[in-house]
Formats: sequence, C-alpha cells, structure tokens
Amino acid sequence: MQIPTEWIKDFCGLDSSSQEIIEQLTMAGVECDYLDSSNQEILNLSLTPNRADCFSVKGICRELAVLNDLTIPHDNSDSLLINHQDEIKIEIESLKDCPVFLTKIIKQIDIKKETPDWMVKRLKMSGFKSINIIVDITNYVMLETGQPLHAYDLNKIDSTIKVRRGFNNEKITLLDETTKKVDENYLLISDNSKALGIAGIMGGKDSGTSLDTESIVLESAYFNPITIMGRSRMINLHTESSLRFERGVDPSIQKLAIERATQLINQYSGGKNGCITFKKDDSSIPKKQPIMLRKERIYQILGITIANYKVSEILNKLEMEVKEQDYGYSGWLVTPPSFRFDINDECDLIEELARIYGYQNIAEKKELCEIKLSTNTKRSIRTNHINNVMVNRGYSEVINYSFISPSMNIMMGAESKTIDIQNPLSIEMSVMRTSLLPGLLQNLMYNLQRQYTNFKLFESAKIFLPKNKLNIEKHVISGISYGSNAGEQWGIKSKPIDFYDIKGDLEMLFTSLKINDQISYSNGSHPMLCPNKNAEIILNDLSIGYIGELNPELIMDLDLSQSPVLFEIDKDHLEKTDSKNYQDNFYFPSSRRDISLSMDENQEISSILKIIKQLEIPILKNIIIFDVYKGENIESGRKSIALGLIFQAKSRTLTDEEIDRYMSNIKRQIVSYFDLKIR
Amino acid sequence: MAVILSDLLSAALKEIQDSKSLDSLDSVRVNYLGKKGKITVQLKLLGSMDPKQKPIFGQEINTAKQRIENELQLKKIKLKELSISENIQTSSIDVTLPGRTYLSGSIHPITTTLIEIETILLSAGFLIQDGPEIENEYYNFSALNIPENHPARAMHDTFYLGPDLLLRTHTSPIQIRSMENEGVPIKVIAPGKVYRRDSDLTHIPMFHQVEGLVIDENINFSHLKGILREFINTFFNKELEMRFRPSYFPFTEPSAEVDILSEDGKWLEILGCGMVHPNVLENLDLDSEIYTGYAFGMGVERLAMLKYNIKDIRLFYENDLNFLNQFS
Repeated sequence: MQIPTEWIKDFCGLDSSSQEIIEQLTMAGVECDYLDSSNQEILNLSLTPNRADCFSVKGICRELAVLNDLTIPHDNSDSLLINHQDEIKIEIESLKDCPVFLTKIIKQIDIKKETPDWMVKRLKMSGFKSINIIVDITNYVMLETGQPLHAYDLNKIDSTIKVRRGFNNEKITLLDETTKKVDENYLLISDNSKALGIAGIMGGKDSGTSLDTESIVLESAYFNPITIMGRSRMINLHTESSLRFERGVDPSIQKLAIERATQLINQYSGGKNGCITFKKDDSSIPKKQPIMLRKERIYQILGITIANYKVSEILNKLEMEVKEQDYGYSGWLVTPPSFRFDINDECDLIEELARIYGYQNIAEKKELCEIKLSTNTKRSIRTNHINNVMVNRGYSEVINYSFISPSMNIMMGAESKTIDIQNPLSIEMSVMRTSLLPGLLQNLMYNLQRQYTNFKLFESAKIFLPKNKLNIEKHVISGISYGSNAGEQWGIKSKPIDFYDIKGDLEMLFTSLKINDQISYSNGSHPMLCPNKNAEIILNDLSIGYIGELNPELIMDLDLSQSPVLFEIDKDHLEKTDSKNYQDNFYFPSSRRDISLSMDENQEISSILKIIKQLEIPILKNIIIFDVYKGENIESGRKSIALGLIFQAKSRTLTDEEIDRYMSNIKRQIVSYFDLKIR
Repeated sequence: MAVILSDLLSAALKEIQDSKSLDSLDSVRVNYLGKKGKITVQLKLLGSMDPKQKPIFGQEINTAKQRIENELQLKKIKLKELSISENIQTSSIDVTLPGRTYLSGSIHPITTTLIEIETILLSAGFLIQDGPEIENEYYNFSALNIPENHPARAMHDTFYLGPDLLLRTHTSPIQIRSMENEGVPIKVIAPGKVYRRDSDLTHIPMFHQVEGLVIDENINFSHLKGILREFINTFFNKELEMRFRPSYFPFTEPSAEVDILSEDGKWLEILGCGMVHPNVLENLDLDSEIYTGYAFGMGVERLAMLKYNIKDIRLFYENDLNFLNQFS
C-alpha cells in the first residue's frame, strides 16, 4: 500500500519527518520505506498478511498514535439529512457469509462534477487513477477508513440486491472487462436477473457508474474473511478490495464509511440522500473473546520481565480492554479491539507487547542446551569430500534448476516417465529431471558459445523418478568433460579428452572413498551414450551409474566437434568408510617381470587379470598394464598388451627360482584359457 | 733406479695435469697406483733389493706415491667443480616460463556458502537434517499453521505436481519430520533446495534455504537473538550493526526479521525468525506450556550475494565458467 506522508500527518496531527515515520513504523513491524528514494512524499508500506488493520490511513495513524502518545480525532458521527424514503430491497442468502450489509440510495447526483484537486492528488499519490467523482470518493473513503465501498447505478439494478453463492459455471464480466467463470465457491452480489459483481473482489461491468448515472446505490458490507480468502488467487485477480476483505475489515465501521462517503458526495456532487437500509446478524460478526495473559508466560516466551504498569499501558494504547487479575501479578484479561483480526491467543498478545516494548530492548542470551555431538554429519562430510576430489580433478561445480523441458528429457533418452509440474512457469521448466545430464549438456553448449574450449563440469543434486505412484528422489553426482586433456601449453602434447581420462577421474574418486577395489565396469547400453564407448559402473553386484562418450547422433545434432564424456553415479551408494586397518610396510625389495601378449582385439583385458588373480599368488603385489597396441606389426583383429608383474614378500627377499615358478604357472594358465600368444 | 723413479713421477704429474675428465684421471691412478701400476711395481721390486738401499729407495717410492696421491686428489676436486659448473651452465632454465598446469576446478558459491553456514551452526550444536523436495500439503503448510486459503499462502507461490503433491516452498517440512522422528529436545538445521513459482529480476523459481529449529524447556526470544547475532558476525567475519524488527510468519509468534546495516547505510534484510507458534507445537503433540522453541530461516543466495557482492541473483544459475571460475 502506498500513501502520501502529508495525508498521514494531516490525519493524526503528527509533526515527524518522513524518515522518522518510516523508522518508527518499520521497527514496530509495519515495514515501510519511500516509494522511490528520489520522492520522499510517498510512503510504501509492505504489510504482512496479519496486519489487516493497517490497510488505511486511519490504521497507520492508530499505530503512530501508540508509538508517539497521540490521540487521533474521533470519528464524525453527525447525522446526515435524509431527503427521500426510497430503499432497495436486500436479500442475503447466508448471513454467515455476509454478516453486515448496508445500502443507501443517493439520487440526483451530478456525476460530471470534477473531483477536487486535493483529493485527486492524494488518490494519485496512493496509486489510484481518478475515474469520476463517485468512484473517486468510494476509493478515497476506503483508503481513509479501510472499508471498501461500491457504487451501483440505480437504473441498472433489477429491483433487489441479493448476496448469494454463484451458480455452477456462472459467468460474469467485471469492471476490468475480464470475464470470470465462478461457481458456488464464490460469493456474488446480484439482482433479480443478473450478477452485479463478485463479493469482496470486484464489481460487474454492467452495473457500475458511468457518465449517464443520475442515482446511485452505495454498498458498504462486511464479508466473512473465510468466504473471500483464496478466491482472488483462484481467479488470479487481486484487488484493493479483496486484499482488505480476505485479511479482515473492521466489522464495526460499515455505517461510518457509508456516511463519510455520503457526506463527501453531498459536498462535491450534490444528491438527495435516502436512509440506510441494512441486514445485519450480530451472532455472525466475529466477537473478540477475552484472552488470559499470564505474567510468567511473558517471561517464558520473551526471556524478560516487563513491569506490570508497562504491560497495561501498552495494551491500553493498543485500544485493548484490560482487566487486571490479582492486581496484575498473575496476569491480565485482555479483549482486543474489533479491527485486530490477528490477535486471538496469548502468544499474539505477547508479540504485541514485545513489538511496542521494542525488540531492541530484549536482552541477548545463550541457551543452556543439551548438546548432542554430531554423529549424523556424515552426509556433509561425504559431500565435501566428493566435491573436493572433483575440484582437484579439474571440475567446476554447476547448479541447474530441478525442472527441464520435456523435449530435452526425451532427447537425452532419459527415463520417458516423468513427474510433471501442473502449473509450470513455462514449458521449458515443466518436468522434474530424471537425470542431471541434460542440464550439464546445456551448460556445455552455453560455455562453448562463450568460447570456452576445455572444461569439466559436475553437479550434485537430486533426480526425480516416478515409480508406481511413488516418487523417488535420488541423489546423484554427474559430470561432463570436453576439450583436450592438458589444454594448450608448452612442452606437453595434449589430446582430446576420451573415455579413459574420465574413467581415471572416477577411479580417483572411488580410491579416495576406499571402494575402488569393489568397483567393476561392463559394457553398458545407456541410450544417451555412444553404443560401443559406454560402461555400466558396478559396485559389488549393484549397478550404481554409467560413464561413456556422447552418442554420435547427439554429437551431430548439437554440431559438436568432439565427443564429450559423461557420467552419472548414485551418490547414496557412495559411503566413505571411516577407517581402515593399517597394513605393515614392505621392507624387502620387490622384483618385476614383464610379459607381452597378443590377443583377440575384442577380448577384455580384465578377463586376463581375473585369471591371474584367481591363482591367488601370495607374493604378487601388483599388475601394471604398460602398453596396449593395435596396428602395424600386429596381425589384424588382434592387439598386443604388455603387463608388468610386481612380486614382493613381507618377510624375505624373493629368489629368482620362486618367481620363475609362478611366472610359468601364470603363462600356462592364461594360454590355456584364451587364444593368445606370449611374445 | 732413482732416475727412473723421478721420470715416473714427473710423467705421472704431467698426466694428472693433462687429465680432462674424472674418467681419464682415474685411469692415471690405475696406471700408476693400481694393482699393476708403475709405482706399485716398483714397490714390489723392493723385496729383491740390497738391504742397505732398501730403506732409502723405499722412502723415495713412498714419497713419490704420496705426491701422486695428493695431486690426484687435488685434480679430482678441481675436475668435479668444473663438471658441476659446466652442468649448471648447460642446463639452465627460463624461470619465467609458465609451469605445467591442468584444469582447476571450483565449487559453486552457493555450495560454499551452504557449507559455511552449516559449519558455523554445527559448531553451535545443531545437527543437519535432510528431507524430500517433493512434499504434501500437510508438511509444507498445515503442520506449520498455514491453513488452506490463508493469505500467507500467497507468500508461497507453489508448484503443484498433483493432488496433495507439491515442491516444498521452504525447508521447514524437514523440521516437522525430524520432530516426528526424534522428538524433543531438538536442535537441528535443515538446508536444501526450495521452490517458489516466481521469476523476475530479483526472484528465481528455485533457491536454497537453511532453517534452524530449537525446541526444549526454557527456550526464549532472548536466546534467539543471542544465537543469531553470533551467527551473523561469524558468517560475515566482523561485528555488524544489526536490528531485530517485528514481522509475521504463520509458524512463529512473535516473529522477527533481522536486518544488517550495509556500508552505504542501508538496512538489508537477511533472515526471518521467531518463537515457534504454540499451534505448531500442538500439531506435533507437544505441550506448548512446557516446551518452547525458536526457529529461523535464511536464503543462501541472499547471504552469498552479500558476501561476494553479487548484484544479480540470476548469475548463480547461468553456470557461466567466467562466473564459476572466480570461486576456484
């Protein structure tokens, strides 16, 4: 809400600067600032949903009066002249929905009269355009008192005003010329033949005032907030009126507001007044119940003691009715005023006390609390650890939105079943991602366009998979790499990043987590990856992810000059083992034997290593694969590999004879299993 | 004999003098002093010599041998020095050439900020809790004293995934879940992604929050003020001017916003907090007469923007390497 400072000062006779007003209101919980810093004449108030009572000049002034010990002028209750006895019939379907409904007919107004300059100025500074004298006055009275009013053209009403629920699929065209479809969820104002408006939100186009209007019906009502709440959100129409009604309008000011409007109309537009016609149901008007405020509860919540006299003083200033219990030692019985919809419990009263007493006057302490040592911080340690490994391997972390476009999801060949957002901001952000790779691929394209040529990116986040009506959230870590393995620098010949560069990164990660010896790889079939350059990553017997080069089709679609290497791993399976038993150092020298083989080029090297491992040679400490070669001097369809076997024992120096015995056993075994030749 | 010995000596000294390398020097040594060296041979001849001449000649040979050994040693030191200095001269490097580097990675500033917040609060005894990002109405709203149609729901524009299925709009549901699982007393923080249906210059549809919750007997507003001042000063690593001002959240009463004073004299809102509303405690079957608690929540992007002086929130999600690499 925006309001000119001048109006506020004029209303409550306050002599503070705008800056002081802003400071005071803000520190009392009514957040306030200049509308724009160059114009200090208009205040912009960011009202929280609980403070309906501040939605008017009068409300703001009430607040300032409390803070500055002022008394604001009493409402003018002079009776106005009544010039005729015409009334309009009112029918209220449910007084629960609408406990107070007042109308008054004013005839022979002059709608062509110009709105006085001072009023136009105040309205304009409050963000209202001047429409005609009648509409301007209803808006002005709303800003002044907080009571939304509506003026109908008497001639456009078919005999009776009804307040009723909407019919199914009922349509109504509103003053802003939009047509809304409503149903029994909405409260409508109608006459005998048509809807005149949506109660508490906006009047209809066909019944409002125009330049031909001679007589008007003024409406001043109190609608039950529950009947209005959420409706404007459902039809996406937030109005000045709905803002006030859904938070709560003071149920005691309908008469005051209609009389104030009548008086201004008579003064600036003439007219002959009728009397007020009304329907009212006292039992449906929210009654403020007395609330017990206990002295020790104030301490329990705030941690300070406020003197008894101070408590009653603050509550009195806030126009609450206060009765001391046991002279204030046990507490007070407090009845809040009708305009405070937000005060219903003891804790609300305590907040009021704290707010006026001043949060700055509450001491700061440290609680004494049983401290549980952090046993469950594994999650964050693991996250930090994995992040650090990735960074050390040259990866930059990215964070993408959790929602992506369906076409991106499909293009990536990721899971076709998705969890869809029913009210997305755009189609580009309408499905929950089932893989982080689409996002990473977009990051790749973006940075290539920004002329970055070598980079590795990773993301660690949740993916969302629909499974039999259950939604699975899975934490994964994914990466994409592109460019050359060493970049461009002197003295190093770099080559395009390939599968093995990135597999090496993962091996480092798994080694640091002490699980590398439980990891194996087998040919994979992920549709996003190149059919013969991708692998499933297996932890013991569990598939935990995949790694591979991008599918050539996608490389062509994206017009990339080389293939990025991607991976995605279930993070929940990556536990970091806390400790490992120390193994004694090897102090005796090791011996190395090399062996060179030629084998079928489709034969996996791991199959040979497996055979050697199965021999369980106790002194075989390590096997190094130091060459893999295909091409010249090698029979086509075959490859040559060279292995280095390292032998070492803990308690003695090995003899050549012993090692030779193992070597010939190894050679015999691998030749017997595979079609290979030892060279 | 004496003549031959002096010839031998001067020949040896000359050869030592002419040696150009440690290798050739060593062959001089072998040639004269080795097992079959010329001096050694002379020594062996001593046995067959006239006993009168033996001591005289023996001393002469020894003197010559000593002399050669000395000269060898001196020459060896010289040659070593020469070889080292030659080595140094021929293998000099250009120290101004850049070193060999590989890609250097970086952690996203949001992650860094999150970890910093977590680390500070862990040290204050808070435990970290995690929870689902897809939530239902109960955990996201009702349990937190936000009934349907409450105007406060307008503060939370929500993405819906189905009937009673939504993307959490804050991390408070985690706190409700940990209360259900672990009961009181409780002291937890809930970090994570949250979603609001909002997108403009200053709003993005996904961001990160850290919310904290403490429930126990004898917890009050002054404790809330105490921990937050400490937290903020630690996070920004300086004593900041700050203020607590009244605000509104459905799940806390009293509620407050905390502002810090920026260098240009403006108050900047950095977090929201308050005493847990008795309705929230009662929803969790806790006796609100006995238990009280405080809660606070902060936007990680907001804190990161203040810390790194980033003006545009959308930069965090462009994932431009020019931006990311600044945080390596």
